[in-house]
Amino acid sequence: MTTVSQFESGPSARFLHLAEDWRSATGLGVRVAIVDSGIDTDHPDLKGRVVESVEARVDNKRIVFDPSDTGDSAGHGTACAGIIAKIAPDTQLSSIKVLGSAGLGDGQAFLAGLEYAIKRRFQVINLSLGTTKPQFFSPLHDLLDRAYQAGCIVVAAANNLPHPSFPSVFSSSLISVIKSTETDPLNFGFHFGEVIELTAPGVNVRTPWLGGGYRNLTGNSFACPHIVGVIALLLEKHPEMTPFQVKSALYAIARENQKAEVEKIA
Amino acid sequence: MTNLNGHDLPAKLQRLIETVDIANILTEPLTQSLAKMLELSAAELNSEEASVLIRDGDEGDLRFLSAIGKVAEQLINIKIPAGKGIAGFVLSSGQPMAVSDVGEESSFYSEVDKRTGYSTQMILATPLSHGGEVIGVLEYINRRGTPPFEPFTPDEMDRAAAFAEAIAALVNAYESAKLFRDLGEKVLADDSTNDITEVREWLHGLRDSAAHREMMDLAVLIRDVASRGEAERVICKDLLESIVRYSDSKSETSYLTL
Repeated sequence: MTTVSQFESGPSARFLHLAEDWRSATGLGVRVAIVDSGIDTDHPDLKGRVVESVEARVDNKRIVFDPSDTGDSAGHGTACAGIIAKIAPDTQLSSIKVLGSAGLGDGQAFLAGLEYAIKRRFQVINLSLGTTKPQFFSPLHDLLDRAYQAGCIVVAAANNLPHPSFPSVFSSSLISVIKSTETDPLNFGFHFGEVIELTAPGVNVRTPWLGGGYRNLTGNSFACPHIVGVIALLLEKHPEMTPFQVKSALYAIARENQKAEVEKIA
Repeated sequence: MTNLNGHDLPAKLQRLIETVDIANILTEPLTQSLAKMLELSAAELNSEEASVLIRDGDEGDLRFLSAIGKVAEQLINIKIPAGKGIAGFVLSSGQPMAVSDVGEESSFYSEVDKRTGYSTQMILATPLSHGGEVIGVLEYINRRGTPPFEPFTPDEMDRAAAFAEAIAALVNAYESAKLFRDLGEKVLADDSTNDITEVREWLHGLRDSAAHREMMDLAVLIRDVASRGEAERVICKDLLESIVRYSDSKSETSYLTL
């Protein structure tokens, strides 16, 4: 049986033959979907970077997606998009709005948004949302398996409250993230054996907000897009990577980060 | 099951209305407990203002139910439209959020500040959940003292979540009792638009709430005891007042351990 300690001394980025060139990438051509409250496409940090915006709408008891020009009423999606754009400025961002419209914001719209993103085969899907409702466990599990099989890399924020949320507690078919106090956007951690494996900056993060402004925000929601940004950099240089390989690469890079920290302290 | 069809309807409604007054009395300590919880938690988090917003209607609007701080009285019953502001997002996403520089730019939903004259600089907003549903939002605004304020920390977010669990239970109990009070008022109102279908729907909704059932069992029990005579009323009142005094004497919590 492989133990946690074996993984702590596991393969480095060099062992995986992962070249350092991803650090100079910009996410060029990588398609990223943000399933959230929409994106303010007029924000100076995001202008020209959002290639598509769609919005959930209930049509005869079914949820469908129409082109959207309603932007973002809450600011949350804009903040997530801004973090990704800062790390990977040439990424093609797509907004899938499932929060903010009257009558929506429940788990069904969230699931429909994720399904839409998988059907469209986005390379990376940012889920800074989740649900704690047990009735969504099974459908979300199926959707995450479909995403994995379709080659979509789903990155989910952990619940900020002391209860499991779905899909962040699933293990193999997605990458889940919790906030750290780290400030360097590329200095993330990987903790094999924990329910939520990745840590990334999520405390007092300066992000774009509605009306062209900025906010300093705290929450796992803002750690998640940091990892999405890093994955976009990796995929620009290695577009053939599978979700499994991307997770291994993140693990290897996190090990390098950890080693660098230890050396810095020494 | 309450059957509102048939000849016994007036009698059943009469009995329901009789309990309304008792339900009203029962809601009063809940609002006081809410205010106490807000005061306690705001002190713990070194926050100047604290408030409870609850879902208002089906569209996701919010309104202030309880507040402590300089502008507490002005906040009560102010409404926030669906999806607006930090509170609107927290209600729809079910996730807490801390913002440390709200007053820095114009996109903050500033209607509340305009109406109260208060200057919101930072917010820690936490969802209030009960039975798997988000029923409201708990907000802590600014620090005590003078700016610049230290941002809310992840540890404080965790502590706010713990307070939110207790406050959500109080809010749910309050809402259940209030629903019943409103139902009584609806039935009593001399208004020809009141039809029995609407009343029936209300009762169906109420019946699904366990907290409400417990509350109403208690109300009916008190009514039953009180209706037996002067001596029973005095004993019942003394007993209940003893419980309240004992509960108040527990500084760490206002609840009894069962």
